[in-house]
Amino acid sequence: MSTALLEQQSETVMHFQQLFQEKEQKLNGQANAPLPRLQRLAMERLAETPFPTRRNEDWKYTATTRILAPAYAAGQEVDLAAEQVKAANIVCLDAYVLVFVNGVYSAKHSQIYGMPPEMTLWPVKDALKDDRFRPLIEAQLFHEENQVHNAFEHLNMAFAEHGQFIHVPKNVVVDKPIHFLYISETEDQPVFTHPQIIISLERSAELTIIEHFTGTVNAEAPYFTNVANRFHVAENANLKHYRIQDENMKAFHVNNTRVRQDRVSTYSGYLVDLGSRIVRNNLGAVLLDESTNTNFYGMYFGRGEQHIDNQTFIDHAFPHCESNELYKGIVNDKASAVFNGKVLVRQDAQKTNAYQQNSSLVLSPKAVVDSKPQLEIFADDVKCSHGATIGQLDENSVFYLRSRGLSDQQARALLQHAFLKEVLDFMPEEKVINASEELITKKFQGEF
Amino acid sequence: MLSIKDLKVDIEDKAILQGISLDIKPGEVHAIMGPNGSGKSTLANVLSGREEYEVTGGDVSFLGEDLLELEVDERAQAGIFMAFQYPVEIPGVTTATFLKSAVNAVREARGLEELKPVEMLRLIRQKADMLGIDHKFLQRSLNEGFSGGEKKRNEMLQMALLEPKLAILDETDSGLDIDALKIVSDAVNQLRQDDRSFIVVTHYQRLLNYIVPDYVHVLYNGRIVKSGDKNLALELEEKGYDWIKEEVAAGIPSL
Repeated sequence: MSTALLEQQSETVMHFQQLFQEKEQKLNGQANAPLPRLQRLAMERLAETPFPTRRNEDWKYTATTRILAPAYAAGQEVDLAAEQVKAANIVCLDAYVLVFVNGVYSAKHSQIYGMPPEMTLWPVKDALKDDRFRPLIEAQLFHEENQVHNAFEHLNMAFAEHGQFIHVPKNVVVDKPIHFLYISETEDQPVFTHPQIIISLERSAELTIIEHFTGTVNAEAPYFTNVANRFHVAENANLKHYRIQDENMKAFHVNNTRVRQDRVSTYSGYLVDLGSRIVRNNLGAVLLDESTNTNFYGMYFGRGEQHIDNQTFIDHAFPHCESNELYKGIVNDKASAVFNGKVLVRQDAQKTNAYQQNSSLVLSPKAVVDSKPQLEIFADDVKCSHGATIGQLDENSVFYLRSRGLSDQQARALLQHAFLKEVLDFMPEEKVINASEELITKKFQGEF
Repeated sequence: MLSIKDLKVDIEDKAILQGISLDIKPGEVHAIMGPNGSGKSTLANVLSGREEYEVTGGDVSFLGEDLLELEVDERAQAGIFMAFQYPVEIPGVTTATFLKSAVNAVREARGLEELKPVEMLRLIRQKADMLGIDHKFLQRSLNEGFSGGEKKRNEMLQMALLEPKLAILDETDSGLDIDALKIVSDAVNQLRQDDRSFIVVTHYQRLLNYIVPDYVHVLYNGRIVKSGDKNLALELEEKGYDWIKEEVAAGIPSL
């Protein structure tokens, strides 16, 4: 690392340490509760772990220096009107809703009544005090199977005050999706927030969650959403995970989601990136036993100077596992997108089926796509494929639509929408498809 | 309705149309025939608004407007419909979505209100029934995986919905079997009315047994070398194009 970078990083870490000490001083005798203890540990790790720079191959295209430059303060709750929350919500979706305003849980706007009594949805700080749950959480936080935790994850743990823990015992099917609605309502002070969801699904349990990030449009300063999620999907359990990232155009968003899957379990990620100045998603699944099913379906649309970086990792270590990965994206103006997807098929992972595809449309001469689908196979009896395509809108199709009276803009929007629809069609939840389509349509029309 | 005067068109500096004049009045059906490479499709494409053609001379006026100044979508809104020889396949856009967008775009341009979803659905279904199109088709991606006949039928459905003033059929009959041909012709015949005109570009006389034209024009080397009524088409069917080529070579006046 260059000295200039080192200096900037040590300044950043010093700033974080100062914030951390201020936070500690307010603990008033709670300093030895389990969460603050974990947070101190995370802070120590953060001091030892440099933030990745462009010299790290996996961070080559995304400058963390820009994300870390502002002097962030911790997010404070602001009082939102019910209409404001409603406007950010997904229309007609029947779900349990947890609302977070600037990272702070808002009981007032949330609706979590009526959940199956067998399951648990608790703040991480409370769940850590319970002997049943603490081991489950710690196992997820400290496992480092094949993946070293990065500085953003330590940062998240050090500052996450409103992390949520979900435990679904065996055979329990949660009847409605759990919708985590993160609203950033910031003004002229740069703010960072640390959303955290830790999920433990036991044998044959089923759950759908929706992570949903929005930000007010008129904010002066950037804000930084630094997410870290840990999901454990036990034998024959099924987790569906939607993410709608629609932050405002000044925001920075880093999302580290680590999934661990046991035998015959299914994880499906439906990942929509529309907002943020810079967004970096690390999504990784470690397959811990045979016959798992892993699906990553991602779509993104970048405009202006947006930068959208998707990094995925699927680690096949056991036989008969299947993974499907499809990411489709459009970049316009000066936007850039990165897809770096790695699928590792270890020697013992015979009979693996692994498919990976990234397709992009590049709509302007200054828009950039870097696509790097990687497949590393060490087993010999597998079915695997990977590919990347980068193209433009088909002008013949544009002409055809215009010859039926659609304006040039309408024709192009329809074709872009059709391109992304392939990904949306994988989503089982129609209301989420509709909400995503509505957001996409607004983006096509140039709304921010 | 449509008046073409001495139209000259190049593609990549090669003269394709070398001075075409044609006058089409409301309600008339004009067939344009001619051997391969005579410029038939070029004429159709220029009228529809394709950009790769360069108009080097002449005028085209449509309902009093300078057609060549209009963008392709403005032409559609003004009432020109082109049934393409090769309709484009568009995966991911359902036929229904496409038809709704097109109908509303044209209605808006013509100063009409957008149709409500229910009315739109009723209208599309009614026209689909008229053309014997299965409603399941409406949920499929536009033209994707459609047979040649299905694509042409879909073109006719669009024509029926957009209610053009002038419809241009560019070799719509090519490659169709007799059943598909009848469906296309039926659609045209049902839509024939006093204020709607048709240009039927075709290679084969057979279509004209079903769509009976008021005029038949023979295009050769970028010029209309002969015009007549439906009997001219029969004569061409019987004798081929060679006698016309010979007449042109001998300098016999065309009319």
